[in-house]
Amino acid sequence: MIAKLLATDFLKIKRKGLWFLTVLGPFGVVLLQWFNYELVPGRREWLLQRSDDDWLFYLQNVNSFTPLALVLGITILTSLAASIENETNAWKQLVALPVSKMGVFLSKFTVLAFLLAVASVLLFFFTWLLGIYLDLGSVIPYAEIAKFSFYPYFASLPLLALHLWVATVSNNQGIPISLGVVGFLFTSYSFKLPDWLPWKWPSLQNQWDEPLVNVVLGICVGVILYITGMLDFARRDVK
Amino acid sequence: MISLLQSEWFKLRKSKFVFTAILLGPLITFFYALTLQPDKFGFEKIFLWEFLIAFTTLLYALHFLPLTTGILAGLICRYEHQNGGWKQLLAMPVTRNQVFLAKYTILILIALTIQLLYLLAIWTSGVLKEAEEPFPMMLLWKSIFGGWIATFPLLALQLWMSMLFKSFAAPFAVNVVFTLPAILAVNSEKFGPLYPWAQPFLMMYVSGDAENDIFFVPWEQVLTVVGGSFLIFFFGGLLYFRQKENI
Amino acid sequence: MEYIVETHNLTKRFGKEIAVSALNLKIPKGEVYGFLGPNGAGKSTTLRMLLGLMRPTAGSVRIFGRDLKKDRISILRNVGSLVESPSYYSHLTSYENLEAMRKILGSPKEKIDEVLELVHLSKAADKKVKGFSLGMKQRLGIAMALLNDPKLLILDEPTNGLDPSGIIEMRNLIKRLPKEKDMTVLISSHLLSEIDQVATYVGVISKGKLIFQDSIKAMRKKAQLKIRLKVSDANNAYRSLLAKGIKTDYQDNIIYLYEQSDEAVAAVVEILVDEGYSVYRVEEEHQSLEDIFLKMTAGGDDR
Repeated sequence: MIAKLLATDFLKIKRKGLWFLTVLGPFGVVLLQWFNYELVPGRREWLLQRSDDDWLFYLQNVNSFTPLALVLGITILTSLAASIENETNAWKQLVALPVSKMGVFLSKFTVLAFLLAVASVLLFFFTWLLGIYLDLGSVIPYAEIAKFSFYPYFASLPLLALHLWVATVSNNQGIPISLGVVGFLFTSYSFKLPDWLPWKWPSLQNQWDEPLVNVVLGICVGVILYITGMLDFARRDVK
Repeated sequence: MISLLQSEWFKLRKSKFVFTAILLGPLITFFYALTLQPDKFGFEKIFLWEFLIAFTTLLYALHFLPLTTGILAGLICRYEHQNGGWKQLLAMPVTRNQVFLAKYTILILIALTIQLLYLLAIWTSGVLKEAEEPFPMMLLWKSIFGGWIATFPLLALQLWMSMLFKSFAAPFAVNVVFTLPAILAVNSEKFGPLYPWAQPFLMMYVSGDAENDIFFVPWEQVLTVVGGSFLIFFFGGLLYFRQKENI
Repeated sequence: MEYIVETHNLTKRFGKEIAVSALNLKIPKGEVYGFLGPNGAGKSTTLRMLLGLMRPTAGSVRIFGRDLKKDRISILRNVGSLVESPSYYSHLTSYENLEAMRKILGSPKEKIDEVLELVHLSKAADKKVKGFSLGMKQRLGIAMALLNDPKLLILDEPTNGLDPSGIIEMRNLIKRLPKEKDMTVLISSHLLSEIDQVATYVGVISKGKLIFQDSIKAMRKKAQLKIRLKVSDANNAYRSLLAKGIKTDYQDNIIYLYEQSDEAVAAVVEILVDEGYSVYRVEEEHQSLEDIFLKMTAGGDDR
């Protein structure tokens, strides 16, 4: 059943710009670093002087935008996906089909998680390519690039689950979007946030200085929030 | 025109959510200001106001205000996007210019309200922190007024986008695409002043060195960047709305 | 009789308001069941509960003899539905809309062309639904409902937005389906004339309560012709007829005849004239289904 639902959901996101945003997100994040390093003459040299490890410094620069793009990207993608069903209240058509409501929710989650995973892979490649273009050193730290590309993805799974939940049960999409703006503020100030707040996790910071903690937390809390959202979605009447 | 404004506001306040959207920024600013402790940064208490203003401006004007314009514009078009509300509205004895102008006017009035609430948030937090110096009202007026003016073009573009797209998320995506680079742009002396989405921050950020006696940025910048982008976005949106057929 | 749908004390409450109250629907196999009621009587809420879109506050639903709560998915495999305004994805073409559903239902691909043909949308197969007229959207909704060759077809106000020829086509289609495809059809409407032309069985709902449920024939029996006689001194005339062994009704100076053959009417008139009464008027009074429906649902208002 879930395979059928997935096939349908991928068909439904056609022409709605979800794929475009999936590419635009990582592209934009890396493009901003190109601006940062290259747009002003002399800026690149100045930036390179500021650290011993040019690659790591560059990756940290990229990663100052990755969490922001993730939070806003999750907000936009989930809300778009929900409004595809909301526009003509297609939920009633969908749920009257021989599918379980939990399956419907799982399918949406899977599609969005997949899009974000694609975005993370693209982020890896774009980061790598710009790094080479900027001539940051011949030893390319692939493991570090991967870490900065994929760890934030796993760390932001709770936000995906939360946003999918709020977006699917909100009649007014202004609500999940506003939640996204608050999330964006939190993420922008993640260095000030306590470790237990999920909006901090995509930044990979924590008091132990161990990014893997955020990944594990992201997956665990993501699963919990996902199940909560799914149960609530299944419990509600379809209007 | 007055009745059209009243009707727009009536529709808007019927979904109680608009009040949340209005209070969101000022409330977050307020709580953020409460957590700020100048002594941790080695500031004397006489600089409490300056300290509060500088830190909250960054959060409020750079991260919050530009994105909020998108939410407000989305809300003001929400009713019309549901169940063919556009045709119902335009079938009434009103011109499209009036409808566009009424919606835009409501938006800038709400933006002004948010600015004033922000002022209130700073004042309250400073009083709670027992500020000893007098409230720098003159300085803040420049900031509040300037930030308000800077949202004009952003609100115009967002109104345009919200009329163009049925979903809430699509115009918001446009907003995000332009707002994120502002974080970098404000650091650049060359590009910051030219970038419309950086203007709310630049015009709210208290700096004493500008010769301009009304705003914190030079007049040329206000007129060309804010004024210019306002004209493009406002008339772009208006022209789009006037020829919009599929409603 | 075999019932395709059977509800037992089906009830739905929204907060304090009771939308549907202890409904016992019985929909026999192979019938076109007309579900009739004024706007806001609880029709859509009932249909939503039949499809598992809403949970009943109390009571149960059995479809194909199985409990909806337990076997929802396997039941829905054989149900097609169109509830309220049609739902569609406006950025997709009508073919893609059906394809999105077909993937879930697992029907063969040819089925899409078949249903498009059936509702006369084949030409618009590759057009985005965004530009469709209301009638086309409605047809697409019906095509969606037929995609899985359902055993039970649930249509909420199916002629909404259709033009006159579309309405006639729709009626013919609905009448054909039970015979040709062995379907049971449940259609709802607030217009009796709609139901009257297609339904073989009727349920009338008012204020959330089922106030009538029987075959359309039984409902028509309630709508018999009556012959009214207006005569001088009607009260005495009525007694004279009674004395002659002719059964009539007397009400407000009017005599109503039960026997309606030409001979019987002629005989009554003859007797009255013989007895010296003046006959002013002999009229037929037709009580329409509409009158009956209005009386039924108006009765609901008093509660």
